[in-house]
Amino acid sequence: MIKLKIDNIEITVPQGSTLLKAAAAIGIQIPVMCHNEKIPNHASCMVCAVKNKQKGEFIPSCEVKATEGMDIDCNTEEVTAFRKDALELLLSDHVGDCEAPCRISCPSFMDIPRMNRLIAQGNFKKALEIVKEEIALPLILGYICSAPCENACRRKQMEGAVSICQLKKFTALEDSKSGSYYLPEKLPETNKKVAVIGAGIAGLSATFHLLKMGYSCSVFEKNAKAGGSLLNLAEEVLPAEILHIETAILRQFGAEFIFNTAVNALDIKKDFDAVLIASGENTKDAALDFSGDGFSTVHEGIFACGSVVKTVKMAVKLVAQGKQAAAEVDAFLSGKSQQYAVQFNSKFAKLKEEEIATYLMESTAEDRIDPSQGRLDGFTAIEAMAEAQRCLRCDCRKASTCKLRIRSDQYGAQQSKYKIAERKTIRKYFQQDILVYEPEKCIKCGLCIKILETHNDLTGFAYIGRGFDMHIAVPFDKSLQLAIAGAAAECIAACPTAALADFNPEENH
Amino acid sequence: MKKDITAIVDGIVAAKGKTVNKVIPVLQAIQQEFNYLPSAALERVCETTEISPSRIFSVSTFYTQFRHQEQGKHIISVCVGTACHVKGAMLVYDAFRRALKLKDGCDTDADSLFTLTKVACLGCCTIAPVVQIDDITYGMLTTEKVPEIIQDFLSNRQDNTSVRKHQPKHTANLKDEIRIGLGSCCVASGSSAVRDELEKTLENNSIAVNVKQVGCVGICNQVPMIEIIKDNKSTAIYTKVMAEEVRKIVLKHFKSGNIFNEAGNRLLNYIEDLVVDHFPVSSRKYSPEKRDTPVSEYLNRQINIATEHRGIIRPLDFEEYMKLDGFVALKKSLFEISPGDITAIIKHSGLRGRGGAGFPTGVKWELVKSAVSDEKYIICNGDEGDPGAFMDRMLLESYPFRIIEGMIIAAIATAATQGLFYIRAEYKLAVKQITAALEICRKHNILGENILNSNFSFDITLFEGAGAFICGEESALIASVEGDRGFPSLRPPYPSEKGLWGKPTLINNTETFSMVSWIIRNSAEAFNNTGTLHSKGTKVFALAGKVKRGGLIEVPMGTTVREIVEEIGGGIANGRMFKAVQIGGPSGGCIPASMADIPIDFESLSSAGAMMGSGGLVVLDDTDCMVDIARYFLSFTQDQSCGKCTFCRIGTRKMLEILNKICSGKGSEQDIVALEQLALKTQKGSLCGLGKTAPNPVLSTLSYYRNEYEAHIHGSCPGGKCKDLIKYEITEDCIGCTKCAQRCPADAIAAKPHELHLIVQEKCIKCDSCREVCPVNAVILK
Ligand SMILES: Cc1cc2nc3c(=O)[nH]c(=O)nc-3n(C[C@H](O)[C@H](O)[C@H](O)COP(=O)(O)O)c2cc1C
Ligand code: SF4
Ligand code: SF4
Ligand code: SF4
Ligand code: SF4
Ligand code: SF4
Ligand code: FES
Ligand code: FES
Ligand code: FES
Repeated sequence: MIKLKIDNIEITVPQGSTLLKAAAAIGIQIPVMCHNEKIPNHASCMVCAVKNKQKGEFIPSCEVKATEGMDIDCNTEEVTAFRKDALELLLSDHVGDCEAPCRISCPSFMDIPRMNRLIAQGNFKKALEIVKEEIALPLILGYICSAPCENACRRKQMEGAVSICQLKKFTALEDSKSGSYYLPEKLPETNKKVAVIGAGIAGLSATFHLLKMGYSCSVFEKNAKAGGSLLNLAEEVLPAEILHIETAILRQFGAEFIFNTAVNALDIKKDFDAVLIASGENTKDAALDFSGDGFSTVHEGIFACGSVVKTVKMAVKLVAQGKQAAAEVDAFLSGKSQQYAVQFNSKFAKLKEEEIATYLMESTAEDRIDPSQGRLDGFTAIEAMAEAQRCLRCDCRKASTCKLRIRSDQYGAQQSKYKIAERKTIRKYFQQDILVYEPEKCIKCGLCIKILETHNDLTGFAYIGRGFDMHIAVPFDKSLQLAIAGAAAECIAACPTAALADFNPEENH
Repeated sequence: MKKDITAIVDGIVAAKGKTVNKVIPVLQAIQQEFNYLPSAALERVCETTEISPSRIFSVSTFYTQFRHQEQGKHIISVCVGTACHVKGAMLVYDAFRRALKLKDGCDTDADSLFTLTKVACLGCCTIAPVVQIDDITYGMLTTEKVPEIIQDFLSNRQDNTSVRKHQPKHTANLKDEIRIGLGSCCVASGSSAVRDELEKTLENNSIAVNVKQVGCVGICNQVPMIEIIKDNKSTAIYTKVMAEEVRKIVLKHFKSGNIFNEAGNRLLNYIEDLVVDHFPVSSRKYSPEKRDTPVSEYLNRQINIATEHRGIIRPLDFEEYMKLDGFVALKKSLFEISPGDITAIIKHSGLRGRGGAGFPTGVKWELVKSAVSDEKYIICNGDEGDPGAFMDRMLLESYPFRIIEGMIIAAIATAATQGLFYIRAEYKLAVKQITAALEICRKHNILGENILNSNFSFDITLFEGAGAFICGEESALIASVEGDRGFPSLRPPYPSEKGLWGKPTLINNTETFSMVSWIIRNSAEAFNNTGTLHSKGTKVFALAGKVKRGGLIEVPMGTTVREIVEEIGGGIANGRMFKAVQIGGPSGGCIPASMADIPIDFESLSSAGAMMGSGGLVVLDDTDCMVDIARYFLSFTQDQSCGKCTFCRIGTRKMLEILNKICSGKGSEQDIVALEQLALKTQKGSLCGLGKTAPNPVLSTLSYYRNEYEAHIHGSCPGGKCKDLIKYEITEDCIGCTKCAQRCPADAIAAKPHELHLIVQEKCIKCDSCREVCPVNAVILK
């Protein structure tokens, strides 16, 4: 047995234990990336580094064995900074989008590529479900969104952006014609009541999300119908019918509308657990002080969002605010900590000329499709599917499981820290519809090589070159099928990033 | 063709073996055969051996030696080692590209006659810049000589063998002797031609004199050198001898037996009487008796331990080695003292490893000795990857028996069972000499079963390193011997505990081993009398760069930088100013001239931010740019990084990118700060010595020459080296000779006889040709 100190705690571990295991024994979780318990491999990423206090050295805890009398730091600022440095170096040599650029530029963070894929498959219902996770009013936005997402769309470089906004409208219109509206599953009833003041975009959006989270919602509107500023729009911009359907959906979902009623938040507070003011630009009340954190006001339990706080022109931003305000109300009422921080995103600027063909491998070469029935009525189903197929699938296949992303998020790593010379060129290789290999997402841990070494019948992978240009490839230019074959799932599971990823992760979840 | 490959590969596999550890020797043999690695050959290897496709690719793409593309008929290797770099290797490289009309991204000419590559140090630094075409080496190049050299190669390549076996015809009891050095530098400088001419002259004139081919004479940038010994006394040394001059030199000292030549001889004496100093044209005669001659100054400051009998001993002459106390230490170790005594002597001598880190050799031997195992290995590290060092090469070429003796003594002391030389494949002569020496030792029962009839058995094999700086690092070296990529592994466990094939292994540097027999023979005290408190004995340095006299020197530890540069090296060449020395190569740093009184030993160098490293010592003058030097080393280390760990793989590359930015004049103050921070992070975060020391050249230049970095930020390169920041201009001194215009490869100068010439800046490619050729130094750098 070996005695040592980890974070000033004396412990005894069996001979041969790594520092990683020793720390785990006293509940200290050290992050790992290139390490995999089942696969013998060398330390390389340095994300698991700890400090040997006596020697002043930073060492990889996943490989270094505990020795008698060691004194190890796992959680000091210095150690944390070191791990962040390692991550930032890795990120500087990493080319990929965690989330697609369209999604990032959507103020409401709609999962656009996912929606596109579902539409392309003809699964319009599921597509709408994805849309509604982030966007409460897809039908309305389908008509009036200024679509910043399309401006960011990578497809803009080739035959025009994907018609994201029209596609979203299409899913919502399909739903509206189906006779039974899609209503998401609600969380368990909380028995708490929220008053929303104002049935404009922000208020309606918040109402949708609050209902979903299990609150009962009363919407007070001084006008005779819902819509707020939308009511000023011309019929050829936003048909009245559309506003009507969207309100009907909310009502079906459980919203109680109280029209023709102007209320004062401070007055009605006593009847509700929380109040959200979303009454729009022209209803400012001198008695209310909005200077709180986020969407809260100085008045306990009273929140405010939308133009009543500060004029917001873009409809999708109001939709986003409604969603975020609802989350804050929820946090307040449930006592949970509010979690709306933006997750880490690996990004890169424009596609290079030579990358276009690579990206088109997952798409079609078509031009942007204009709806044959006119922009107001939008796509037919066939057009929608064809247009959705134009999506390049920019989002990462392991966006939610990638260790590099999770650690970068955890340590607040900045990808732009070492942006000096030109980035590497993205390549993608496919093993039929089983696996995708993207070398520019590889952190060179070598786990895949080690796994494939145990399969004698396979060609396997090899390291090519050394130093910065080192990469992983199939010997003799053989196919991925010969290299990996049946070991694909094993490699995908071990690969810490999306360098090796499931071709179709969503279907397998 | 396919059938052919199969048969050849099968032959190679049969000769080398089928186990995974044979992958490098098999690849080397394939490349020897085809000049590159044809894919079909590699597939055949995988079919017929234990070597997997994954291994063969991982290994063959790791080492620089291996080529996967078909090559031109001849390979031109431009040395871009440190000494060559500071003497303008890149300009020479560019000149070759132009002369061969190579297109961007392509290294083989249109006729597939030549392939151009860069190599790190050919070990002839003293005659830098150096280029090797196949086996022929050309030194002291300038851009303008490039086309001539290609021509010369094409017309001469048949009769140019680098070293020939020579059996002198007149060996019987001769008092007279002519010595000629045949180390790599010597050969590169033309000493084979001189030797041929010498033999021809002796033959034609029936002169009975012994011609003795000795190893490196140490004074590498004055070679070819001929030493005349008459009546057992050195009478004259001629340096920089050209083949045409040999006849005159010989006939001056030895009477021709052939009456025909008398007239010629008389004429010769007549010429000599006229101008002693300028005869023959390029060679000078020094009498070793006179103490103030440059040669004696060069040699007299030195103490020869590793290089004992330098310039006298014939590398492969076993009898001579015996006569000069060879294997006395071995016999003592076998028959007179115990293994424990050996280790005690080495420990007491204070000898520290010469491979860089300076680990006490005796302590290391004790560790291996106390490791319990029925098999133990001894490895002589002759990888010498520092691009500005060639000591180990010289030692291996010139004193093979001494190193072997050191290894056997180490084996006795540690109870080792097997020995291994690990030598870079580029060191062709060293490989050849060691192979031959091992064979001779076996013949004389110095190696093999029951050495010298003792009960100790030990043998040594040789492994050719395939070109990766990291394989000088001991754990990476072991990985490569085992048939893997040269990925270092975490230490502990150290090789002394778990080394080659998991067995206890003693790894010492070549120079370390070459000191052993001297110490055992002369006592620990004799060794530790010399040197400083913590660094005992002598150290061999490869002195190169901007000094007047460069070469292999062996000086006591504690000798100052100034003594080496000014006294041994004769000061700075061409009347320039002494600026700094770079010590320790890619892991080392710069010592500025203002600190030249620092004694050279392990501790002093480290505290000055440099490092003993391998012992490369490159002298820099005021035309050298310190930012460029830092960039040079970083481009080397980032290329040589094994790629395993994050900080080294990416950190060194990012440092290089920042340095490139600064050198191109696009840097900012923040870039200097970012560079410094990243250097510190890389030092802290890298897993092995390569990455941990790679930032040293940056940190040391930043601490002594930050002002030069700042100058680059503000748009100027004080040393006049960074192409983006300099301009060539012609001054009023121009005499209108048109030479520059004729030379300019970019048509940037119009020929206007007798008029002031002008460089069109937009066209100028900064190749330096005009400046080289101008007879009145009218072309200047701005
Ligand atoms: C990157 C790197 C390169 C090295 N290159 C060499 C080398 O070329 N020759 C050498 O003897 N030692 C080299 N070393 C040092 C060896 O790892 C080892 O310490 C040495 O061979 C031990 O011999 P010594 O104790 O006699 O010095 C290198 C170390 C590192 C980290
Ligand atoms: S591999 Fe990880 S870090 Fe890279 S884009 Fe994908 S999720 Fe983001
Ligand atoms: S191509 Fe698809 S995933 Fe990529 S940005 Fe455009 S819509 Fe988004
Ligand atoms: S592709 Fe292989 S080497 Fe690269 S990160 Fe994934 S598992 Fe590691
Ligand atoms: S420091 Fe560099 S050479 Fe050493 S293991 Fe890491 S990557 Fe390889
Ligand atoms: S070589 Fe010199 S002197 Fe001759 S023309 Fe050019 S600049 Fe003038
Ligand atoms: S080095 Fe330990 S997890 Fe990567
Ligand atoms: S739906 Fe996201 S910006 Fe339009
Ligand atoms: S021969 Fe070129 S640097 Fe040594």
